[in-house]
Amino acid sequence: MATSVTRRAAMRASLVAVAAPAVLRHARGEAPIKIGMPLALTGPAAEIGEQMRHGAEFWAKTVNAKGGLLGRPIELHVEDTTGDPATCVRKAQLVVERDGCHLLFGMVLSSEALAVVPKLAEWNAIFVSSDNGDGRLTGSSFVPNFFRANISGPMETRVISLWLRRGEMKNFYAIGMDYAWGHNSIDVFKDEVAKAKKNFVGAVFSPIGTKDFSTYITKIRQAGADACFIVMQGADNNAFLSQAREYRLADKVQLVTSIVDLNSIHAVGDAALGLAGSTRYVFTIDNLANKAFVEAWRKEYGTEPDVFEGEQWQACQILQAGIEKAQSTDTDKLRAALETAAVDSIKGKAAIRACDHQAVQGGYMVKVVKKEGFKTPIPEIIAAYPGDEITPACRQMTFES
Amino acid sequence: MDFAAFLVTQCLNALSQAALLFFLGVGLTLIFGIMRIVNFAHGAFFMLGAYVGYSSVAIAGNFWAALVLSPLLVGGFGIAFELGVLRLLYRRDHSAFLMVTFGLTLIMGEAIRLIWGVNALEVRAPPALSGIVFILDEPFPLYRLFLAAAGIVVAVAIWQFLERTRLGLLIRATSQNAEMVHALGTDVRLVRSAVFGIGCGLAGIGGVLAAPLVTASLAMAPTAVIDTFVIVIIGGMGSFLGSALGALLVAFVQVFGTYYFPDLALALMYLVMVMVLVIRPGGLLGKEA
Amino acid sequence: MNFSRGLAAAACVLALAPAALPPYAMTLLTEALILGLFAMSLDLMVGYTRLLSFGHAAAYGLGAYTCGNLLLHTGMPLLFAVPLAALFSGIVAIGVAWVCTLASGVSFSMLTLAFAQLFYAVAFKWTTVTGASDGLAGIPRSPGPFGIAIFAGKAGFYYLVLACLLGSLLFCRMLVHSPFGEVLRGIRENEAKTLSLGYNTRRYKIAVVAIAFALGGLAGALYAPFAGFANTELLFWLFSGQVLIMVIVGGAGTLVGPIIGAAFFMLVSNLLSSWTDSWALFFGLIFIGFVLFAPQGIWGLLSGTGRAEGRERVRWRFLKSTS
Repeated sequence: MATSVTRRAAMRASLVAVAAPAVLRHARGEAPIKIGMPLALTGPAAEIGEQMRHGAEFWAKTVNAKGGLLGRPIELHVEDTTGDPATCVRKAQLVVERDGCHLLFGMVLSSEALAVVPKLAEWNAIFVSSDNGDGRLTGSSFVPNFFRANISGPMETRVISLWLRRGEMKNFYAIGMDYAWGHNSIDVFKDEVAKAKKNFVGAVFSPIGTKDFSTYITKIRQAGADACFIVMQGADNNAFLSQAREYRLADKVQLVTSIVDLNSIHAVGDAALGLAGSTRYVFTIDNLANKAFVEAWRKEYGTEPDVFEGEQWQACQILQAGIEKAQSTDTDKLRAALETAAVDSIKGKAAIRACDHQAVQGGYMVKVVKKEGFKTPIPEIIAAYPGDEITPACRQMTFES
Repeated sequence: MDFAAFLVTQCLNALSQAALLFFLGVGLTLIFGIMRIVNFAHGAFFMLGAYVGYSSVAIAGNFWAALVLSPLLVGGFGIAFELGVLRLLYRRDHSAFLMVTFGLTLIMGEAIRLIWGVNALEVRAPPALSGIVFILDEPFPLYRLFLAAAGIVVAVAIWQFLERTRLGLLIRATSQNAEMVHALGTDVRLVRSAVFGIGCGLAGIGGVLAAPLVTASLAMAPTAVIDTFVIVIIGGMGSFLGSALGALLVAFVQVFGTYYFPDLALALMYLVMVMVLVIRPGGLLGKEA
Repeated sequence: MNFSRGLAAAACVLALAPAALPPYAMTLLTEALILGLFAMSLDLMVGYTRLLSFGHAAAYGLGAYTCGNLLLHTGMPLLFAVPLAALFSGIVAIGVAWVCTLASGVSFSMLTLAFAQLFYAVAFKWTTVTGASDGLAGIPRSPGPFGIAIFAGKAGFYYLVLACLLGSLLFCRMLVHSPFGEVLRGIRENEAKTLSLGYNTRRYKIAVVAIAFALGGLAGALYAPFAGFANTELLFWLFSGQVLIMVIVGGAGTLVGPIIGAAFFMLVSNLLSSWTDSWALFFGLIFIGFVLFAPQGIWGLLSGTGRAEGRERVRWRFLKSTS
């Protein structure tokens, strides 16, 4: 067993070395910065895991090509969790204990992250999340070694509610996947609708893995709402959107989704047209850093970066800022540095706040449209909100006003 | 929406779902009837059907081509697996089949990931079927009517095939008493290969037909296989009519149950299954096990 | 006897493991032993009584959730919470088994599957007890009684698991060689005949399911504080399928085989998935290879004893198919 492990470690190291041979020559003798990345690479959540891996690999390659971070090369230790929390805990423990990673990325599902965070102190490891949306990670389940670089579920919901406040629509219905993220987001939404003095007419939750949404679509039609808030992702989201188009649901109700991503748009095609929603990242964000990023990404992968690729890139920027500030990867020093880390990156300004380790950042509202030069519909930004408006108070999941 | 419209559209929804479940269930039950094996990989064949359907549409540019090609290819793959692996195992007990079909599920899932990638793929319903019709002033997707009709047509076709053709006769006879059929001079092995191929092909059709509703994705197999088990068990393992009945029962319970008791959506199917098995341990139309 | 000498040797080697192995290997080994205990508990049903359960994850999940709740909310010492959770799992099993044994054969398997899935659905909805989709996180290894804290550490917890596994193995071995075990084997070979000899076979079946659930629950109860969390996946049918595979790969009806099968399943899937993303491909090929080339399971390969038992089983099947 021992031999295969060292061989594996050597293989991983050589993978990075292949990507940036000049770097290792430059940084020879310097210990690599090891980052463990337990990801769902197979199974239903693999779509997101694959994106997060791309985002991190692209960053590691870019940094290594410039001589590394603090003169040390970045080394990623990716492991497949299949999207199962039990496997995720095991794999996270492996990269910590076997590979000596005290920095963690990854964990596609919130359930995986929630299982891992209580162990961070024992492992003396820092975990920088790039996609876990569950509000409790910076609320009731907060631990000092956890940092959330991405927009949380309550934040994306807030973006939508701010957008809806300006509009004419009065009555709202909601459908969510029957798990933490769905319930959490819909609770926040309900609260927001009440604050805007509008009507929340009801909600329904579909079990994960639902294939036939006809009953749920009937319920939405009968609710008589002006708009329906959707909290779904992956296969369930694709199935819902495809079937909503079948029933021409959008003719009657404005569909507003908590997360718009390119993968779903590709999967459902024109069924996504007209869909409005919040997004954590979209390649059409108009700033110089993002333009350069999209350009470089296209050159590397031949596509536009998707939501979790952009989010992962930003998480990497934040970690990088922290490490540069601390001039070290020592857990205590890095934690202190990360608590005040701020970047001006592809989504504009993002700054971690010390009280709950959430990155305060702007949010975007998009609408899916057809655009010249693109084969499939793309998300176009229709509104942007600054970070202080969409981030809840420290350790809170709902908003005061 | 008045109640009559609600009732009619929901019944049609249930019928369309029953059709999809039936395509899966009938294959599994035929295979079980002849070979006494529980095909754990049935969901993987269903998923393969959807992906082959996607590629057929992409290459031939036509959904109907996919509907023909997919079952042929998936069924052909099933026959190849039967010839290459399963055939060596008929003298062994259930556990051997459980293991090889579990292994096959893993292999197919990974092969599909390697060939088609991790992202879900769009399979469009043919233009002629993507419209809506108004039923009592309620819009209803044409495609779902097509699904319900396809389910009925295929069910009748299989029934006639089993009743009227020589192969159908052999299949029924083999499921009753394989030794006897063998003693009468028929190569039972050929019947087994054919049935395994037909069963997998039917799962393949199911995959193509489901794809416009759920997209072709890696999430298809795990949920499909458990649904299929449930309807086949409710109907009675090995019973053709049972699988049709099981599919109808599960689909109606799902559609109406989810409407009135959304919190029970996840449990409904299993509640029905426990109730049926407690009353009739062999399933609705199965032999006492 | 050969078995006890072998067991003593294995126990010694395993007892020395914490001194020789790096931390990550200890983590894997501990989990492998927990899964081994789980697989062994299923073997009582599958290998000795021919009760093919498709829902054994229910035992594991029940144990894990019960133990997790006890540790999280009552401050009960680890040493009390674990056996209590196992006991609870066994008691629930009596009710489940009472219903499931109304049927036999494939229908029995499917009823167990249905029950496990019902538990899964309940766990998904009963947020206050199970934490729904998030599960229970941060389950502590509470010390005590009398301030005993050694089990909270890595090596200490490993010894607790090892003790549970060895104790259960000895118990099961005693059980299958007792008159009770004879009746179980009678049920496996020919239930009708056993019934006609005057044994209430259903009562025996309920008893064996309860014991298997208690031991499976023990494994789950150990898992909760080991991983620090419990969630619905532990009740999912896929896990039931996997443990059944572990039993078969190891060699059903041998008790030791399933333990090895579980360790093999976990370690190989881990090593493979660290090595390549396409681990499932190779894993699947390994299973098919096993069926084709090592039908008697790993234990049979290792010891040669499984083969004799295998022959006996084949003969029995032959008799049954001609009768």
